[in-house]
Amino acid sequence: MAKNYIDGEWVESKGEIIDVVNPATNETIGKVGISTKEEIDSAVQAAQEAFHDWRRTPPVTRCRYLFRLRELLEENFEEVSRVQTQEHGKCIDESRGETRRGIENVEVACGIPSLMMGECLEDIASGIDEYLIRQPLGVFGVIGPFNFPFMIPLWSAPYAVATGNTVVIKPSSEVPFSQTKITELAEEAGFPPGVWNMVHGGRTVVGGMLDHPDIQGITFVGSTPVMRDVIYPGCGNTGKRCIAQGGAANILVIMPDCNVEATIPGLMTSFFGNAGQRCLAGQTLVIVGEDDAFYKSFVEKITDRARNMRIGYGLDESVQMGPVRDVHKKESILNYIEIGMKEGATLKLDGRKAGEIVGNYPDTCFLGPTIMENVSREMRIVREEIFGPTMGIIRVKTLEDAIEICNESPYHNGHAIFTSNGKSARQFQYDCISGNIGINIGIVAPMAFFPFSGMAGSFLGVLHTQGKEAIRFFTESKVCIHRWL
Amino acid sequence: MNLRTASETLSFLRELEEKAAVFYEELAGRFPENKDDFLAFAKENRKFNKQIQMAYQSVITDAIEGCYAFDLETDHYVFETDLPDAAGLAEAAAKALAIEEKIVSCYNVGAEQSGSLLADVPRNFKIVVKKRNNRLEKLKSLA
Repeated sequence: MAKNYIDGEWVESKGEIIDVVNPATNETIGKVGISTKEEIDSAVQAAQEAFHDWRRTPPVTRCRYLFRLRELLEENFEEVSRVQTQEHGKCIDESRGETRRGIENVEVACGIPSLMMGECLEDIASGIDEYLIRQPLGVFGVIGPFNFPFMIPLWSAPYAVATGNTVVIKPSSEVPFSQTKITELAEEAGFPPGVWNMVHGGRTVVGGMLDHPDIQGITFVGSTPVMRDVIYPGCGNTGKRCIAQGGAANILVIMPDCNVEATIPGLMTSFFGNAGQRCLAGQTLVIVGEDDAFYKSFVEKITDRARNMRIGYGLDESVQMGPVRDVHKKESILNYIEIGMKEGATLKLDGRKAGEIVGNYPDTCFLGPTIMENVSREMRIVREEIFGPTMGIIRVKTLEDAIEICNESPYHNGHAIFTSNGKSARQFQYDCISGNIGINIGIVAPMAFFPFSGMAGSFLGVLHTQGKEAIRFFTESKVCIHRWL
Repeated sequence: MNLRTASETLSFLRELEEKAAVFYEELAGRFPENKDDFLAFAKENRKFNKQIQMAYQSVITDAIEGCYAFDLETDHYVFETDLPDAAGLAEAAAKALAIEEKIVSCYNVGAEQSGSLLADVPRNFKIVVKKRNNRLEKLKSLA
């Protein structure tokens, strides 16, 4: 049973209790409560009370708790990785990658005494000095998605507490155990009660966070409709700071001069890694040029590689793609494949049935990789987020055409180009609208010391999670002008 | 068996190193005059395992092609460590050299396959191969 962690105590939710199902085995692996508004209020109150002392704790002391948390995460590296695979379905390689990325955020936040420093200028006028200091604001809410249950709350929470704020984390109720494990380790690291809180649940908890007058800001990662229609306006209505990261439908551009052998594994990772359930996953492949031989050969190579992919339960180290998170998501992906076909796309590789599943697990949540040709830019499978292991292929004549397709997408999260030509790469980087740009990288995931910079339909807000921007988000700058007479 | 993912490839390499380490420990018991060398080889094998594991855990992120980095046939690299009771030092060293050849070959092929995909992992494969040179010279002198 995944319990809430409020004011340093583990408490069972008073709300409805639901099953958490391993999508690979179809077995119930635990239960989680869908918490009530009163429970989120209780967590916020505890966090608000803890804030008074926590903000007065010197930054160098605050980050010692994070150093301890970091050590505990390293010690439990394999266990937390396995938890992710069990509750989400991703391969163990992918889970370990997620664990590493999460820990890196804790490591960056450990540098808070340097990162949080202000600015100072003597003699702005004779005998008058001016200072900028950064101060924490209070309680922050962190709302996590299902696709990266371990890492994504760590894009925010370590920075929030390092800067002197307190946090209430709401993991996705589909995958509550990764954050439960982190919170157990945060408790072991010795954070004072009320500094690090976690409340499981769904819309009620989100609504409770948005409405709560004592929450100063919210970071959210999830779907674009929720970002646009719920989180961003909800924060605006109550004057909260907001980092809202939404969906994507990323476009990967292939130039005929790319290094084909190195590009293909990059495409497999991008389109089919994490079963396509990544906001940085490739969704549309744009192949540039009029060389039919190159096009055919390239598509054949991709198709062969995808067709031979090992699908199964991610705890088996040989597995290259796990299931999607649940049957509803599978249905949604299947529906998009049907839509694509109705709109004129043709199936080069049909992944609607998973085929052979290593370990003979039920195919409830498994899909194979799907590749669709004859896709055009106006199709819904290009313009809407599918969030599954599908690749739609468009052919264009020039790089300019490809950039135009990227720029007319409603989403601008992580477009990429594969080329060996520096001029093409620079042109793409310069002209393509995208928060994160990949040059021969299929998953443009920024490291912890850089911001995760989505744009347009993929992001609402000003500052981003991770790194220096997170420090600015979680602090208010205060300017002080001194004159001593 | 065909290995494709980083985790299964590293598990396989770990097994090879450990199996060889156990073999060297056995040789240390059988040939007391070369005990220190053989125990040092066994210790070094386990250090290699830690080194590779650390490289993997440091660079394995969701941006890296961990699930698609290899295409290794394990049949090419498996070895037996049985040594006849009557075997002398020269025979044991020759056996060790054959084992080393298999392990080095596995690292080299793995490094070539994952060179542009896994960053520090293939680089560490090459470091491990380089560090084995002294050992190979020593074994050749005993064979």
